[in-house]
Amino acid sequence: MSAPPLSGAVYDRGYRPYTGPRGGRREATWALWRLSVRRALGLRRSWRQKVFPWTLLAITTVPAVVNVGIGYAIRNDPLEIPDFAFITYREYVGVSTALLLFVALTAPDVVCPDRQQRVLPLLFSRPLTGSDYVTAKVGAIAAIVFGFGFLPQVVLFVGQMLVSDGALEYFTDNAEVLWQVPISVALLAVYYGAVGVALASLTDRRIVGGVAILGVALVTSVVAAIIIESAGDGGTPFAVLNVLALPLEVRDLVFLGHLSTDSDLSGVSGGGVLAVLAYLLVLTSSIAVLQHRYREVAL
Amino acid sequence: MQQAPSPLVLRTDQLTKSYAGGPPALAGLSLAVPAGSVGLVGANGAGKTTLFRLMLGLMQPTSGRIEVAGRDVATDPVGIRGRLGYMPEHDCLPLDQTASDIVATFGELAGLPVRAARQRASDVLDLVGLDEARFRPVGGFSTGMRQRTKLAQALVADPHLVLLDEPTAGLDPLGREEMLDLVARLAGFGISVILATHLLDDVQRVCEHVVMIDRGHLVLAGPIDQLMQTTGQLRVEVGGRPDAVAVLADALAGRGLSARPLDDHSLDVDTRDQGDAAADTVRDAVADLGLRLYALSTRHRSLDDVFLQQASR
Repeated sequence: MSAPPLSGAVYDRGYRPYTGPRGGRREATWALWRLSVRRALGLRRSWRQKVFPWTLLAITTVPAVVNVGIGYAIRNDPLEIPDFAFITYREYVGVSTALLLFVALTAPDVVCPDRQQRVLPLLFSRPLTGSDYVTAKVGAIAAIVFGFGFLPQVVLFVGQMLVSDGALEYFTDNAEVLWQVPISVALLAVYYGAVGVALASLTDRRIVGGVAILGVALVTSVVAAIIIESAGDGGTPFAVLNVLALPLEVRDLVFLGHLSTDSDLSGVSGGGVLAVLAYLLVLTSSIAVLQHRYREVAL
Repeated sequence: MQQAPSPLVLRTDQLTKSYAGGPPALAGLSLAVPAGSVGLVGANGAGKTTLFRLMLGLMQPTSGRIEVAGRDVATDPVGIRGRLGYMPEHDCLPLDQTASDIVATFGELAGLPVRAARQRASDVLDLVGLDEARFRPVGGFSTGMRQRTKLAQALVADPHLVLLDEPTAGLDPLGREEMLDLVARLAGFGISVILATHLLDDVQRVCEHVVMIDRGHLVLAGPIDQLMQTTGQLRVEVGGRPDAVAVLADALAGRGLSARPLDDHSLDVDTRDQGDAAADTVRDAVADLGLRLYALSTRHRSLDDVFLQQASR
């Protein structure tokens, strides 16, 4: 008589070697970038981690939706709401503090746990260097900020094109924003990403990192405002101390070719060059801080 | 036919690493470690972690040379890390992620394509016994399960060599046995292991070779079988009368064998003068005295003996 079939048997499937393709530093950096983007957006995490980033995306899109909606409502009678000022593409770049809040929340979330939970030694036992780590982390935050800054602009552009009298005419009249918007949003995203991640890298506690980012933004803007106020109408080069405003000065250079007349640097000789230099100085300083923080990792 | 020598997984030549303001962590260490399971033994501060960091290319030696799997670490540190697995002693896992996500991620970070990394993660989690728990966050895992997850991430990219730093630390006896069983199986998969530990029992249980270092210096290195060669002594346990050990020692002295009583029932007999014939001499002496012979065995050295002997020099 044959034995009855076994149920619940444990099968040892042994070990299968891997013979497929293997990547190097580039693939490892790309993998770390994907991991960081997923984490920042709350993907493969609980719903609570998803609420904040996606709410912020919704908030950044509100001005575009409102503008398009009003544009649609008054398409036949532009004088119906005479006081309504449509937002311009230039103003829409970095106009929302939601982007800053996003960086303050997510930049610490993608770097602090690596140090706090001692994941760094494990990461650096893979084919990654400190520079790769910095590239992946800054790249992840910058990419999301770019997405959150760029997608509402797309909504605004497409919406306004569709509600305009002539879509093709609107498109040709505003064709220059097709390069101005992505470039200025990219410059803003890289700046926010680098500064945010650099500040967050100085601590292993997320809450401290977030407060540091918001604190630096607040303190520098207040200090700059006091100096500007005391300098009078002529403007002052110390306006560059407002580090949060620097990418907006650079944005104006991209859109207008010169500083905006309402810029605090507009009265300063060589103000545009000064703004660009200050922007680059803050950016490179942030990268230098990051390179220093991740130059060597203890096991 | 002469057997080909096994390839080396680690070779160091006068390897020295000094930190500012302290004695060298490694002082002129020269090693040739063959493939297989190797125990790296030393007390805290012996230089084990420094050696791992140098192997992973995470820092430069002060002087000397280090090769891992035949490749010079100085010329290609990042490339070497692609074929090494590393399991740290300390907690190092993102606690809010599932074991499956963590292991797959570290597979991708080792250069595996996404789909392959997911498949390998499933396989190695199965291998380490975490097949049913793999979709749970590791924050809720026991110490043993976290250790297994750490081992799984080290294996996911099918490395040539895994560096295990105190893999049984913090485990209960059952967990320790299971972890050692897993480590012992790795050599059969073609994966060499360097097991850093201060637990000599662990090394004796799963390793073929041992390297002992102390304060950056090499104490000894070699196959465990050779190090644990016979001691040239017989362990004899007798009874039948209260002074059995004493009278047997006297009788053996009369037959040309020196004996060292250990307690009321056992003694060690030096066999180096008579070799294998000593066992017959002991047996005959016990029979002539009318004693009861409970045990007669060749005494082997343990790694503890070897370590203590070297440390006392």
